[in-house]
Amino acid sequence: MKILGISAHYHDSAAALVVDGMPVCAVQEERLSRRKNDAGFPVAAIEWCLEHARLDPADLDAVVFYERSMLKFDRILTCALRAFPRSWRSFPHAIKNTLGEKVWVRGIISSQLGVPRQKIFFTDHHAAHAAAAFLTAPTRRAAILTADGVGEWATLTAGQGERRPDGGTDITLRREVRFPHSLGMLYSTFTAYLGFKVNEDEYKVMGLAAYGRPTMTEQVHKVIRRLPDGAFALPPEFFEFQTTADRSYSSKFVDLFGPPRHPYDPIDVESSEGRRFADCAASVQRVLEDILVDIATRLRRETGLADLCFGGGVALNGAANARILAEAGFDRVFVPPAPGDAGCALGAALYADRIYFRNPDRELPDHPFWGPSVDASHLARAAREDNQDVEGLDEGPLVERIAEHLVAGRIVGWMDGACEFGPRALGHRSILAAPHDSEIRDRLNRDIKRREEFRPFAPVVPIEAADRFFDLPPGGSRLGRYMSGVFRVRPEWRSQLAAVTHVDGSARVQVLERDMAPRLHALLEAYGRRTGIPVLLNTSFNVAGEPIVTQALEGYMTFRRCGIDALVAGSTVVTKPAAAAAKSSRESGAWSSSSVAASTVA
Amino acid sequence: MAGVTRSAPLDRLMRPVHRWVWGDVDRRLRKLLTFAEVETDGGRDILRAAEVTPDPLLRRLYLEHAIDELRHGDLFRERGAALLRARGTSRSVLLDGNPLPGGHGLDDLRIDGEPDYRLLAFLHVAEKSAAGRFAIYRELVDDDPHTRAIFEQILRDEVFHMNYTYTQLTRISPQAYRRHVWHARAKRLWNQYLRVAASLAGLLGNAILTVMYFVLLPPFAWFAKREERREPIGWIPISRVRQDAPRSQY
Repeated sequence: MKILGISAHYHDSAAALVVDGMPVCAVQEERLSRRKNDAGFPVAAIEWCLEHARLDPADLDAVVFYERSMLKFDRILTCALRAFPRSWRSFPHAIKNTLGEKVWVRGIISSQLGVPRQKIFFTDHHAAHAAAAFLTAPTRRAAILTADGVGEWATLTAGQGERRPDGGTDITLRREVRFPHSLGMLYSTFTAYLGFKVNEDEYKVMGLAAYGRPTMTEQVHKVIRRLPDGAFALPPEFFEFQTTADRSYSSKFVDLFGPPRHPYDPIDVESSEGRRFADCAASVQRVLEDILVDIATRLRRETGLADLCFGGGVALNGAANARILAEAGFDRVFVPPAPGDAGCALGAALYADRIYFRNPDRELPDHPFWGPSVDASHLARAAREDNQDVEGLDEGPLVERIAEHLVAGRIVGWMDGACEFGPRALGHRSILAAPHDSEIRDRLNRDIKRREEFRPFAPVVPIEAADRFFDLPPGGSRLGRYMSGVFRVRPEWRSQLAAVTHVDGSARVQVLERDMAPRLHALLEAYGRRTGIPVLLNTSFNVAGEPIVTQALEGYMTFRRCGIDALVAGSTVVTKPAAAAAKSSRESGAWSSSSVAASTVA
Repeated sequence: MAGVTRSAPLDRLMRPVHRWVWGDVDRRLRKLLTFAEVETDGGRDILRAAEVTPDPLLRRLYLEHAIDELRHGDLFRERGAALLRARGTSRSVLLDGNPLPGGHGLDDLRIDGEPDYRLLAFLHVAEKSAAGRFAIYRELVDDDPHTRAIFEQILRDEVFHMNYTYTQLTRISPQAYRRHVWHARAKRLWNQYLRVAASLAGLLGNAILTVMYFVLLPPFAWFAKREERREPIGWIPISRVRQDAPRSQY
């Protein structure tokens, strides 16, 4: 069967194609439209998927949308009614927004693709999250937990999945917590309060939390109350997200935590105000972790299963994931490379294949590289036309050359094969640098990524060497496969891994197996042979506010306008001449006079 | 530069409105922060053009142009943030609601699949219009040397952008460049009309929905509130029926 999965209309839309039970391709719309977190109907992603698989829309057996749009409308309307008459301002916007396009998904899919309406299916939003987490994980039976802002009504679900010996698959979500009681919305509310963009900058709260102490957990517990059954509730008087799209928190919330940070104010963690914000971030982070650990512990006791599959946007919180692994009693925790809404496109397609159509289970490839491949010839042509220094190298010499660049403190743009599906750069669209010197980190933040100083960079390490540098608990390397866990850097290595060690001594490490990205693995080994430390700084290949690069020319343009010293795509290496690099730095310097302010902007 | 950046008659007519906008610090900083977003978005669009154009010379020029626009975005953002910090109190409400209309909007610009001549013509017209307007703004912020300096710097870039887009348009479409420019002007006018029409339609829609809200919704709101009080909180069992309804949107 050929099944197309689609997620769209809220944030990070995507398409994924499953043929005969196997994923063939998946890509977020933003990677093709070049608009970050593009939420539009993923026309480009769908076209690319069909083209990649050489299919016409008529060849599809089913198109599956990742949520039930009318049920979502029911929630929006009900919330407006419940908030009457306070919702009068937001009501017209909500109705226009929803009735304008979102509830007509069946018609949109049918008209855009020309497929008959009976081929169009829907899954529950959290069922798609659950499928994305469980069906892509190498486990036969697992407890399933999903948590995000909100789907239709559910914000958190718990259940379990099983691959039966007869080839069938069961995914049973037993219970849910409903909107407005939501861990994701709680975290997003603090994201807004701290002056960051909701649905985009939640990871900045996690980064900031490391600078603070959880001194405000008592206040946080006032805005999220635990219930006797183990769930939680958000008292409505502290929040406004359920009644308006303009503001997440109420004046009572501000009374409790103090004045919010304005998005254009800088964060200086040395100042008392900066420390208050960091403490606030640390407090909500601690409470979120405690609640998740508690819920996961209860789920472990209830199911008796050794594995947990965790999906939904909240599963992007690596610090919480690491605590669940360490404390909830599970042997392994699986978080997919795209646990957020984009991943639901793949989840919905797999759910339909295994559950609706009852097709037999198949073992899936355990990697995140489902997107468009890089074409090195495009890079070579453009770079030659621009009189850049271009070389074509075989695999071995290329790896050795790049390792030399990295040892010399140069920053490398690395494009290899198909791009990742999900928000993390896991070795195919990465910016790589030496991990030793905090000066490199500052240079990356200032001249290339142009982002806040408090945000850490992640390391990548071969699985064979991971334990030597990082304090990984049992199951930690699995969680680190897709950079989904935050672990301690061993104290004796922190000074030599300064660029990738966060202020609290932690790192969101990617633990790399050779099979997943053999070329990057070879580079790590080559770098290790030279320095004794086979670890590299690995950050996504993009500039702040832009999606990760997909095609060679997008990487090339990023390379040309910021302080990346060398660019690799396939067998092509482009190196900035010293003079050009200096010029580029000067250009970046001109930017950075303003980027000091820009870097403080959400 | 004054000759090159002559303002459009409409902008000269609108001078009192511009004076009203720039004469107030709150409105000024909102305008600056709006410009920051518009310039940054425009920069990204032009960067996209650099990525997709097959013409090596245009690629270099687009790249330079995009870097300028992104830098302008930073300059506006930095200045807006500085004014915001200087305002101190009541800052949190300053940016609520809709921002003032932007300066030279490159919003909704489609790059992929568009021929270069169309983009060049569009950019030329947009840059020329922006330069004329920025020339007026520069005069209106005489009391604010920092903001004035930013406009001066940006104006210099805009002149370069106007010139290169026109030169390149004549290079790649020597027979029809005038037609492309007129087409871009007409399209820009049409887009402005659509924006105004959409805003009016939006206002009308809001008014109708607001009336409906107060006339039709109260009884339903009463029922919804009553149901809410009865609704359990905490864990709620999931119905198996819902999970087995593959074609239902409910």
